[in-house]
Amino acid sequence: MSVATQTTTAPRMPPVPNREDLDATWKYLETGVSRIMVNLQEGIDMTTYMGVYTAVHNFCTSQKAVSSNNQGVIGGAHRGAHLLGEDLYQNLISYLNNYLKDLVVESKKHSDEALLAFYIREWDRYTTAAKYVNHLFRYLNRHWVKREMEEGKKNIYDVYTLHLVQWRITLFSEVHEKVMGAVLKMVEKQRHGETIEHNQIKSIVDSFVSLGLDEADPTKSTLDVYRFNFERPFLEATKAFYQAESTQFVAENSIVEYMKKAEARLEEEEQRVTMYLHPDIILPLRKACNVALIADHSTLLRDEFQVLLDNDRVEDMHRMYLLLARIADGLDPLRTKFEAHVRKAGLASVSKVAADADKLEPKVYVDALLEVHAQYQSLVKKAFRDEPEFTRSLDNACKEFVNRNEICKDSTSRSPELLAKYSDSLLKKSAGGAEESDVENTLTQLMIVFKYIEDKDVFQKFYGKFLARRLVNTNSSSDDAETSMISKLKEACGFEYTNKLQRMFQDIQISKDLNTGYKEFEAKLADGEYKGIDATYSILGTGMWPLAPPNTDFTPPPEITKAYERFQNFYSKKHNGRKLTWLWQLCKGEVKANYCKNSKVPYTFQVSTYQMAVLLLFNEKDSNSYDDIAKATQLTSDVLDSTMGIFLKAKVLTMSPAEGKPAPGKTFNLNYDFKSKKIRVNLNIGVKSEQKQESDETHKTIEEDRKLLMQSAIVRIMKARKKMKHTNLVSECISQIRSRFIPKIPDIKKCIDILLEKEYLERLDDDELGYLA
Amino acid sequence: MSDVANQKITLVSNDNVTITVDRLVAERSMLIKNMLEDLGDTALETEVPIPNVNESVLKKVIEWCEHHKADPPTSQDDDSDSRKKTTDIEEWDQKFMQVDQEMLFEIILASNYLDIKPLLDVGCKTVANMIKGKSPEEIRKTFNITNDFTPEEEEQIRRENEWAEDR
Repeated sequence: MSVATQTTTAPRMPPVPNREDLDATWKYLETGVSRIMVNLQEGIDMTTYMGVYTAVHNFCTSQKAVSSNNQGVIGGAHRGAHLLGEDLYQNLISYLNNYLKDLVVESKKHSDEALLAFYIREWDRYTTAAKYVNHLFRYLNRHWVKREMEEGKKNIYDVYTLHLVQWRITLFSEVHEKVMGAVLKMVEKQRHGETIEHNQIKSIVDSFVSLGLDEADPTKSTLDVYRFNFERPFLEATKAFYQAESTQFVAENSIVEYMKKAEARLEEEEQRVTMYLHPDIILPLRKACNVALIADHSTLLRDEFQVLLDNDRVEDMHRMYLLLARIADGLDPLRTKFEAHVRKAGLASVSKVAADADKLEPKVYVDALLEVHAQYQSLVKKAFRDEPEFTRSLDNACKEFVNRNEICKDSTSRSPELLAKYSDSLLKKSAGGAEESDVENTLTQLMIVFKYIEDKDVFQKFYGKFLARRLVNTNSSSDDAETSMISKLKEACGFEYTNKLQRMFQDIQISKDLNTGYKEFEAKLADGEYKGIDATYSILGTGMWPLAPPNTDFTPPPEITKAYERFQNFYSKKHNGRKLTWLWQLCKGEVKANYCKNSKVPYTFQVSTYQMAVLLLFNEKDSNSYDDIAKATQLTSDVLDSTMGIFLKAKVLTMSPAEGKPAPGKTFNLNYDFKSKKIRVNLNIGVKSEQKQESDETHKTIEEDRKLLMQSAIVRIMKARKKMKHTNLVSECISQIRSRFIPKIPDIKKCIDILLEKEYLERLDDDELGYLA
Repeated sequence: MSDVANQKITLVSNDNVTITVDRLVAERSMLIKNMLEDLGDTALETEVPIPNVNESVLKKVIEWCEHHKADPPTSQDDDSDSRKKTTDIEEWDQKFMQVDQEMLFEIILASNYLDIKPLLDVGCKTVANMIKGKSPEEIRKTFNITNDFTPEEEEQIRRENEWAEDR
């Protein structure tokens, strides 16, 4: 029989068969099934429907079905509850076989899209019919098929599944390659921009998926058939297509253009999946595309990255990031390049400002660092989606160029020193008087650089010094800004780091109250009897402040002595047993010069206590010899020399003979012709060399402090561990201290030796060290 | 005829009696349910021949279906243990099954043919309860079976099935 003739008219149903006659029954059933297969569109009448069902039922329930084939498909002995039905099942298989073989022949007439149309049409017809037949043969399913499956027979399926299996064996195996070829041709057309009827492909996919049966468990389906016959060739074709296309495109266009193309292609394939492919393909398809479009060209892409960086092509870098993020380890080389680039940019920015390293303004330096950081942080945000890995590369690069650049080629401590100086300039009262919110913002910026500083202890030292100076000189711009900065540091480095800073700040607050109390005390006591000088006192806790007692003897003038002795009385009443050390070098005051001829309003000199002591001598006589002054004040010669130097320079005093420096034998005269544009004259100015010296000293104390810090860390560790290998101790020590500064291994070894000498530690066998309590 | 609840279907027994029932009642039979699904609602206007069932049995079956029309549909192949193990029958069904033996077997055959699983279960359980606790001789008597075993055969079967006996 051929499909062509069958499609004309439906055959008439033969008479209802005798229930025990297999041949007659099958003849009846075959006609019915045939009608459903071929002429379903004409409908099926009730009598046939019920007739076929009943015939199946009757045959299966007949006591003795006699097969015309005497060898017996069923097998000879009917024992017990043997269920009839195998004959029907086998006959159905051979019917389907014949039917499908005819379809195979028919399919050969078609190719490409016509073949697809043919396949889909026949598939729809066949599966619809299969649903009907499955219902009509339900009795067979319920009993014979069920029993066979329960007994574990292989290759027995319910009638619907049987249809699918037969399709796969007979038809699919013959035509699937041709069908797939047609599918791939269509897809390629679409990739070339033509419009195709993609519903056809979707139908093919569905059909292939339906044919996947789990051999182990027929009630389940698998994607195996689809994977092997659709997905695999599809992926191969995709890969080949894009390999060819991308190779050609890259040869003819720029990388930037190629990235746009690749991006568009990848997006297109994603859409293809939602449009007509099985969702299961998405991962392997992505992978295939990633290989052909990205991985195969990754070297080219990465080479281009440097160019994009140099030209600040944010958008293109973002595109490249998205592409390379799709492949394994795609971004690592970018991160390496990025890190190197940022470091280079940082170094370049520093060397631009480093031309005159000695006179370098801290602000200029810090701004140079911040500018680079801000630029690349925004790049990380815009181009690299703020990815943590890129942020880490940025951090690494910043750490490098903040701590090791042209400015700090001698010592890494230059950066923290400059940073601390910058903070001081921000927090000091200045003529400009920046807005509070501006200061706050700049401090936040400053903390960014602080984060990268390795020698945090150096910053702490300098910051403490500057803070002390601001507090003692009461020229801090605002308490709020000071507190805010301290809390920022505390947040970054912990309580211990800011402990002293906080205490200094508190001392000043307490001193304010103390002064108020003293004023009240003084008012009650004095009452016109003695008009004391108007003075404020700061009580600073020893050990908290980075301040040393005076390096010279000093006899204060009697006016001051009276005042401070009274305060001392007051204080010792309040706090019995506390010893006060006067830091004369930090004290200052104002004196009025009533003797000047050139001004109606008397000049006011702002002076240090030392200067005051010298000037007050001139109340007695207009001329004093060097030796007189030295004797009266008890100042050592170098302090006295620089003090006198300032007076001479400002022309408050004149020296005779005028040549040379202040020295024994010279005489000083009060200059009645003193002139100044300002009414208030500040004579309390440090000398440049003093500042430089101060900074050097600070560095020296840092070295000392570091040794102590390392030693205390070592003792702490050993106290906890009791015994430890030398190398382990060194590395443990590094990890504990690293947040403050990066210790050098030889230094740690030296500290261990010191502790061995002091018998905190002992040497044990096998390179071990022990703790001696 | 969109309202399924009011739809009717006409069945014709093999002795040519037409019986009209609610569609929902008839659909207790998987055969009819599938048929309506396949042939569409036009089948409601056609008489449905039931070639294997006579009027009295068909009416009995429909009576059962009426009573059970609101039961939750059993899933396609409900082979859960509870269904297999228990021989409990609900009261209405017990009364329903108080019919002569011939009718009982006819109902079982019809429910098998029409694919009404719960009714088939009730029928088979009823038979099982009739066998329970009876000696072979009593069973033969109940179902009117002639013993066609030789005494030797019978002895052998008894030995083979000794393990199953109640002791």
